[in-house]
Amino acid sequence: MRDGTGAGSGAEEPAPLLELSGVRAAYGPIEVLHGVDLRVGPGKVVALLGPNGGGKSTTMKVCAGLLPVTGGELRFAGRRVNGVSAEDAARLGVCSIPEGRGIFPNLTVRENLWVATGTGARLRDVEEAAYSRFPILAERRDQLAGSLSGGQQQMLALSRALGTNPAVLLLDELSMGLAPMIVTQMYDTVAQLVAEGLSVLVAEQFARAVLPIADTAALMLNGRVVSAGAPAEIEDQLSSSYLGG
Amino acid sequence: MTTFLTFTILGLVLGAVYAIAASGLVLTYNTSGIFNFAHGAQAMLGTFLYWQLTYGWGLPMWLSLIIVVGVVGPAMGAALHALIMKGLRDTADVTKIVVTVAILLGMLFLSQWIWHPEDARIMEMFFGAGAKVEFSGVVIRYHEIICLLAAAAIAVGLRVLFTRSRVGVVMRGAVDDPDLLRRCGHNPDRIAMLSWALGSTLAVLAGVLITPVGGGALEANALTLLVIDAFAAAMFGRLRSIPRTFAGAMVLGLAATYVAAYFPTDWTWAGNLRVSLPMIILFVVLIVLPQDRLRGAAIRTRERYRAPTVRKAVTSGAALVAGVFLLALLMDDTSITTFGLGMTFAIIALSLTVLTGYAGELNLAPLSFGAVATIVAFHFGITGTGLAARLTPWGVLLAVLVTAVVGGLVALPALRLRGLYLALATMAFGVFLSNMVLRDTTEHTLFGVTFSLFPNGTLIVPPLQVGPLDLRDGRTLLMTATVLFALIAIGLVALRNSGYGRRLAAMKDSPAASAMLGQNLVKLKFGVFMLSAAIAGLGGVLMASAGGSVAGDNFHIMASLSLVMLTVVGGIGYVSGALFGGLMSGVGFTIIIGTFNDLAAATPPMETIFKSLGHLAMVATALIGMGVGKNPSGMVHDLFESYRALRNARPVLIGGAAAQAVLYVLALTGVIGNWWFAVLTACLVMMLPVFGRMLAPTAVRETPLELVGVDEPYTPELRDRLDRELGLAPALGGDRHAVA
Repeated sequence: MRDGTGAGSGAEEPAPLLELSGVRAAYGPIEVLHGVDLRVGPGKVVALLGPNGGGKSTTMKVCAGLLPVTGGELRFAGRRVNGVSAEDAARLGVCSIPEGRGIFPNLTVRENLWVATGTGARLRDVEEAAYSRFPILAERRDQLAGSLSGGQQQMLALSRALGTNPAVLLLDELSMGLAPMIVTQMYDTVAQLVAEGLSVLVAEQFARAVLPIADTAALMLNGRVVSAGAPAEIEDQLSSSYLGG
Repeated sequence: MTTFLTFTILGLVLGAVYAIAASGLVLTYNTSGIFNFAHGAQAMLGTFLYWQLTYGWGLPMWLSLIIVVGVVGPAMGAALHALIMKGLRDTADVTKIVVTVAILLGMLFLSQWIWHPEDARIMEMFFGAGAKVEFSGVVIRYHEIICLLAAAAIAVGLRVLFTRSRVGVVMRGAVDDPDLLRRCGHNPDRIAMLSWALGSTLAVLAGVLITPVGGGALEANALTLLVIDAFAAAMFGRLRSIPRTFAGAMVLGLAATYVAAYFPTDWTWAGNLRVSLPMIILFVVLIVLPQDRLRGAAIRTRERYRAPTVRKAVTSGAALVAGVFLLALLMDDTSITTFGLGMTFAIIALSLTVLTGYAGELNLAPLSFGAVATIVAFHFGITGTGLAARLTPWGVLLAVLVTAVVGGLVALPALRLRGLYLALATMAFGVFLSNMVLRDTTEHTLFGVTFSLFPNGTLIVPPLQVGPLDLRDGRTLLMTATVLFALIAIGLVALRNSGYGRRLAAMKDSPAASAMLGQNLVKLKFGVFMLSAAIAGLGGVLMASAGGSVAGDNFHIMASLSLVMLTVVGGIGYVSGALFGGLMSGVGFTIIIGTFNDLAAATPPMETIFKSLGHLAMVATALIGMGVGKNPSGMVHDLFESYRALRNARPVLIGGAAAQAVLYVLALTGVIGNWWFAVLTACLVMMLPVFGRMLAPTAVRETPLELVGVDEPYTPELRDRLDRELGLAPALGGDRHAVA
């Protein structure tokens, strides 16, 4: 049974690495997550799907520790970590790559990788992992990251997950603004990381890109997870929920 | 040749110190996005402390140097970051600028409190002025060698820090995306604190090094402004590049020295030129350097202003005039004159409301435009002599028109500048005017006309007379200034509600979007700058004539900065904020200091306590300015919001009005003194919303946002409230439906 999200199915199942239970979160006075339940088991890929404004990015921010939880519980490997700061979350092994480009445009490629070592990795390891996976980055190591192409920038962002050996990877809209070929290449990399034992929570507006590698899919609407299950089942519901039908 | 080499070395030394100061500025700007106007004041405080330790208390030089540069410098920077700068995220440029300006003023007041400004303090060079070496006739002092070596070491050190160490690389990333730093496991606050500590240390070091080079006398104002000269150097590197900043600093130091050395001595203005050279260079560099392109995304800030309707403005204007009239009945003649002076400042402050509050452009030197108008009125607008001398209305009109043109001319090259750069350009203009024009006291002959722009350093400006209206009488002046203020304020509110005002607001929110909609930004900026300068000019002439005479110091950049700060404290988006800012900076300080001095004189045993309280009040005023970071929309905004909640609690409002009327009658009949009247009135105004919440909780309570419109009809007011809370632009009445 491929279950990363649903209710616990048995005592033998290991504790999920990342778990949200009844999580509420708000921007100022306006609550946008009204009780989100989600769990990412070890080595699983959970795809968070849904239309714009559904609360996907906010959920990702909560998991990364950038937005405080106002209700419910956020758990890393079974431990309650409500109110964890983003830097502590990162040190605990949560590698989060934000929407858009998760890079520093005014630093060079190498300096970007250097900043990525804030979680305790060594620069040499990070560089090696990044350059062997994306050789183009090695050629451009002294170029300003802001002058790379969109795809190369996303490679650089993803390189942080390669060398720093995190437990959970949070990917927000990886495909945004990228050519389909690059998107495929990105998700190949993600699939390889998963094969090495990484757990991934990925938010995508365009389901097709991510469903092939997902173990579970969850559909978010209006700040709630409305349904979760096997990717194929959720895919069938997608068109109706996107189109409001 | 020897002379040339000597001057070159002097120039390089000056440049080296500028470079140290400027690199600290660049450092903090790049890690926090805050341009620290208080950088010079930090240098000043550190230098005074160094003097106190070495000369006051006789500590060995090396020990006081370690204490000041090694401990106090970093601690001051770290404290500034922890207490104030951290809270400045997501605020508009004007808020950031005003907070650092407030720190500047607070540090100045603090130093004047601790170190009485009239005592002479001399600082010697390291190893004394006599310690020197000589190369083929060129004398170099040890102190100068130390300056050069320190600058070189810092240049290399910063280069290594920023490119060869992880913490330096992380610092450079901090300003781009602090959240991303967090995701990478770094703590951006700790990084920013480190950079503030470093920047502050560099400032203090620069101060300690430059004072003996510049003659050795410690003077708080001069030292504060001297390091402001480093701004020009920092601008060479566009506030980013440290090497170019160093190059700029050297150019600046050499230019200043060569002007002093080689300009003919009979050019009387050469000395003034030397002083204002950095500001001229700053202005030129700002204009010449390539600018950032318009950014597409609107930056969401925490400032919120709602535009009042014209009807409300007319009512408030009438209420203001009536209130001032009633108040004037309570006051004696001197107070009335002071009050009138404050009202003219409020008119100058209105120029900021339209320029900064409505259009989002910055002007840090509003009083300089007042100075331009005053000079024009003095030269061309006076009839009669002695006591019969009067300003003519035509003279005032001419002064206002000329000021508008000057405002346009200043704005013209500055039109491509935005935000901080524009603020610096206006400041450069203000300092330039103070140094070049307002010190132009000697006569010169040009095209056969002998004149001086600012004869004898004081302009006697007689009162204005328009037909039967003679402003020699203080009461008439006060009422005229009040009516003028009300009229201009109503005009501005009407402007804000017109299509032109909406275009200004659009330009403020997103220049790129506004340009894409076909707005001519240059024309908009040009127009609003001229309008603003004209208002400042009118206020300036009235201010000069209300005081009877003005000296160059009345238009000093510090006075301008304090006016800008207090207007922002009041609420720069509101005409009432201008009223608050003008009254406070025009007469508030005078009254505070006066009150405590009177108390001190009246009770000799308590003299020191009251004098200290007076100083404390001055420093506290600057503290209010620093509080703007917490509450960037201004005090007036908060007051409006609290009264808005009282709208449905009529009994409370009527009760408050009745209590105020009773207070007034008591004051008028002499039962209570004016002082008590003022204090009780202030208490009543502040406390009424609190009473309202206690007495009529149901009428005051607001529905929680998420329940709005659930069990009540969904009115336009509710929709506006939602827009407001969501931070959307205020609804534009009828136009909105067309958009939606």
